[in-house]
Amino acid sequence: MGRFIYRRLIHGLIVIFGVTIIVFVVTRMVGDPVQVMLPLESTLEQRAAFEKKLGLDRPIYIQFGEFLGNIARLDFGESLWQKRPAMDIVFEKLPMTILLTAVGIGFACVAAIPLGIIAALRPGGMVDRVTVFGSLLGLSVPQFWLGLLFIVLFAVQFKILPTSGAATPAHIIMPALTMGLPTLARLVMLVRSSMIDELNQQYVKTSFAKGLPFVRVVGLHALRNAGLPVMTLVGWEVIRSLAGYSVVVETVFAWPGIGLTAIQAIERDDLILIQAIVFTAAVCVVAINIAMDFIYKLIDPRLKLT
Amino acid sequence: MSPTSADTLEKALEKNRYERVEKLLELGRELKRDKAGLIGVILITALVMMAVFAPMIAPHDPTDQDLTARLAPPVWYEKGTWNHMLGTDHLGRDVLSRTIHGARVSLWVGAAVVLLAGGFGVVMGLMAGYLGGRTDAFVMRWIDTQVAFPGLLLALIILAVIGPSLTTVVVVLALNGWMVYGRMTRSAVLSIRQSPYVEAAEVVGCRWPRVIFRHILPNLTSPLLTLAILEFARIVLAEAALSFLGLGIQPPATSWGLDVSMGKNYMFMAWWLVTIPGCAIAVTVLAINLVASWLRLISDPQEREKQFARHMAGAMRKKMQASIEKELKAP
Amino acid sequence: MKKYGRLLLAAVLMVAAFAGTAQADAQITIALGSEPTTLDPQIREDGGERAVNDNIYDTVLGRTPEGDLIPSLAVRMPELVDAQTWEVTLRSGITFHNGEPLNADAVVYSIKRVIDPEFNSEQISFFSTIKDARATGDLTLHVITDGPDPILPTRLYWLKVVPPKYSKDPKFAENPVGTGPYRFVTWQRGQHIDLVRNEDYWGPAPQITSVRYRFIEEPGTRLAGLMAGEFDLITNLLPEFTAHVPKSVNVLGLEHPIIILNADKGVTRDVRVRKALNYAVDKQALAKGLFEGFAQVAQGQLLSPSFFGYNDQVKAYPYDPDKARKLIQEAGAAGQTIELIGTSGRWLKDRDLVEAVADYWKKAGLDVKVRIFEFNEYLNRLFDRKTRADSIFVVSSNELLDADKSFSAYYKAGGVGASNTDETLADLIDAARSETDEQKRESLYHQAVELAHDQAYFVWLLNIEDIYGLSQRLVWPGRVDARLLVKEMRIQ
Repeated sequence: MGRFIYRRLIHGLIVIFGVTIIVFVVTRMVGDPVQVMLPLESTLEQRAAFEKKLGLDRPIYIQFGEFLGNIARLDFGESLWQKRPAMDIVFEKLPMTILLTAVGIGFACVAAIPLGIIAALRPGGMVDRVTVFGSLLGLSVPQFWLGLLFIVLFAVQFKILPTSGAATPAHIIMPALTMGLPTLARLVMLVRSSMIDELNQQYVKTSFAKGLPFVRVVGLHALRNAGLPVMTLVGWEVIRSLAGYSVVVETVFAWPGIGLTAIQAIERDDLILIQAIVFTAAVCVVAINIAMDFIYKLIDPRLKLT
Repeated sequence: MSPTSADTLEKALEKNRYERVEKLLELGRELKRDKAGLIGVILITALVMMAVFAPMIAPHDPTDQDLTARLAPPVWYEKGTWNHMLGTDHLGRDVLSRTIHGARVSLWVGAAVVLLAGGFGVVMGLMAGYLGGRTDAFVMRWIDTQVAFPGLLLALIILAVIGPSLTTVVVVLALNGWMVYGRMTRSAVLSIRQSPYVEAAEVVGCRWPRVIFRHILPNLTSPLLTLAILEFARIVLAEAALSFLGLGIQPPATSWGLDVSMGKNYMFMAWWLVTIPGCAIAVTVLAINLVASWLRLISDPQEREKQFARHMAGAMRKKMQASIEKELKAP
Repeated sequence: MKKYGRLLLAAVLMVAAFAGTAQADAQITIALGSEPTTLDPQIREDGGERAVNDNIYDTVLGRTPEGDLIPSLAVRMPELVDAQTWEVTLRSGITFHNGEPLNADAVVYSIKRVIDPEFNSEQISFFSTIKDARATGDLTLHVITDGPDPILPTRLYWLKVVPPKYSKDPKFAENPVGTGPYRFVTWQRGQHIDLVRNEDYWGPAPQITSVRYRFIEEPGTRLAGLMAGEFDLITNLLPEFTAHVPKSVNVLGLEHPIIILNADKGVTRDVRVRKALNYAVDKQALAKGLFEGFAQVAQGQLLSPSFFGYNDQVKAYPYDPDKARKLIQEAGAAGQTIELIGTSGRWLKDRDLVEAVADYWKKAGLDVKVRIFEFNEYLNRLFDRKTRADSIFVVSSNELLDADKSFSAYYKAGGVGASNTDETLADLIDAARSETDEQKRESLYHQAVELAHDQAYFVWLLNIEDIYGLSQRLVWPGRVDARLLVKEMRIQ
């Protein structure tokens, strides 16, 4: 076990290091951040002074050495755009994305399990068909479009929910629904198919034959065995969201999370902030991966993991 | 080669051809049974036709601007005209024509990415699975590492730096998506290699390209096909999302995602600008998903059995019901 | 089932009502396109910051909504002591929100702070001629320039005065303190900034008691908020929507889309071609068609009528496609290639304008190659001093309302965006820059405008109007300098 975790950690470090190197190289290929940041009518001298202040006039290898030092100290420097430490911005925005992800995926889980079970009880029946088709539809509708639809309907037409931002609990409803819908669709399909398999197992049939109550059989036995794949999927969805997929929802609803900030940083050529965001995202992804492996190992020690 | 053996070969080929036709017919019958799959196949065929013949079908050039006819509504509105059946956008471009041409971009990007990513992934998976040892370790490490990357964020940054275009979108999405194929191919190769006939082929002294191409790949086609179709659907959505964010297809080219993003500024006065391309994406992806779930059903023997049983049960139930009704009706 | 539906609806409504409780009587919400990056009023050149701080801070001079300079913290307009020294006299009895007194020392401190090279302010271009400042009394001070600077009053219109003691506190950038009509309350990063009325304001008391600023980049989302009744004022409303929002206000703005023509090389070297390019474009149609009438035809100069230096004798080249074609033929340029550089998504309808202009030029007989670049790449072309493109589209924005800034950048040979090497023109601009006699200076600019117009160094297109979307209850006439002064707003 210790050895397993140790190897996982080393691999995680390699991933994080690789990601940051790629980002450093790619962002230095961006044109000139100075140009974008100063007003159009600034003189050439003002531009040169500004470049010097940012330290972008120094040779690339010096910048790279400094960059490595910065990573070690978890300090990427000041965001070019916001003029404050990039990590401060990240720590401010990351919780918002985590909140959105948690509510969105949490909603998906809560809704998916009963839906999937009900559908699985009579495969091929009317309820099942509607559920399957609904899930396919949920997987097919682009999130950004769904979000716009929600805004038009619930905010502008019915005026029951706020359009954008994150000031009150009501603000999270539409973004979380939009975020959770594809997840819900995937989860329903998964719960349904694993439940169909489980319900066909001999032990379930025996339990029913013995006259055990339905809830007990389904809840205790079948659901527990279907749990592992469901957990894998949920973990994967969380990773996806932190790896950048939240950006679409955040853009549509102006949700002040890490994805929206990333897009804004990219638009403004703020390479410092971009580096900090990608680094943090990589750390999150790696951490969740390790945590999931760890949980697997706890649940089923026979699993071979290297 | 003696004439007799040529003859048998001919016959064998004939038989082979016959079997193929038979297989296709069988597929058709299966399709008829699965209504959803049928709808999916029909929709996709229609979409492909639309994409291929776009310049012929579309009533206008999708980039043709007409500032005097901006934001015209669809034909069923009072102010709508047949000239612009689905209305015009903020530059007076024909929405119908843009939607038709948009199919090209979506399907093209989807196909190109699936081919590139699938090709690369399968090759890497074959190498890892077949050659084993260090190659395997290297490829798997690579895949593990890349899977743990915050993929979309990196993609966005790379697109922003290199400059978004059709080609860069394809390359970035392919770079981001080959790992699934690699993993799947490798595990399939590992299990197939254990099977007796591959061992036999190796014992007989077949060279590895032959083993791979004659024995291993054919066994991979069906799971790979299902995966590729599912990936296709994912890619169509990803392209739309990238274009929506402004980091995908760039004007003057057309793309459904781009049209939604340009139309969203006008969504309160011209709902069709967002709705029509949005529906186009949804319908396309839905069609692909329907086909994929149907394919998965028929290619999975277990599922197939269930399907068959269900079908038979249904038929029997109907028959019985009919006979009961008959009996009841009978005096 | 129905019962549950109602219950659900009730629950949703309650949540929504809870979300909307912020709507007390004299409270408004303004949606801005971008969030301030700091609330230090002197360090950044940042539209979001300015929109908020214009209400927290006062400047030494102000402007009327029509654009005329008036005293603000100063009790009267600054007076020249000698060619390089201006005397400013302040109002008495003003204090900052934290109780620090506003006096000559505070103004001197603010000037020195913003011009300090160590401080490295992005606003330095507004104050670049100021060399020093010193207090001569409790409420009087001298501002010293490094040469005669006729537009110093205009510069003082930019000078926000900060409290000398508190501004050294690191919290200053997040917790600003000024002398203005509104005090800072809170800043929830990424969400909103709240201000409340300053009950001790030295000027007339504003009607609106508190303001909330929200930051929404997407124009569609901003509009959705206005339509849903969440916002009272949104900026940069698209012209198409003026009929759909509760109310809208439009004012002639500061933005001038122009096309810089290369007077030294290529097909545009011939003045006849440059004139033809002007005649070829139907500016009236662009204003009507593309901007729904929310733009004026630029009168052959990079200035609005309210700017200093505007020459009302110079008029726009009329739309005359025949003349354009003839001139191009005469110059032997028919069928030749002209490259037109533009960008997309930076300014209102930038790409649409470029493509429309290209279309007109094609009709005049040129082979137009439109090249739309991503903004960074576009800037490379705009600032490229070695190889100037034939023609570059740019939107000039001049917040000083004075010819100097625009002309130094685009008219004067060697300016960051200039494509001509006209020494006479450069001399006129240089002379005007240090001419303290207002009339002489104006006449110099008039000459410069005329010269550039005759030489057709640009295709002057439009002067775009700023459009604001307002809620039904908000009353605000708008301002030519695009400042969102809440003290001038009222609710019904």
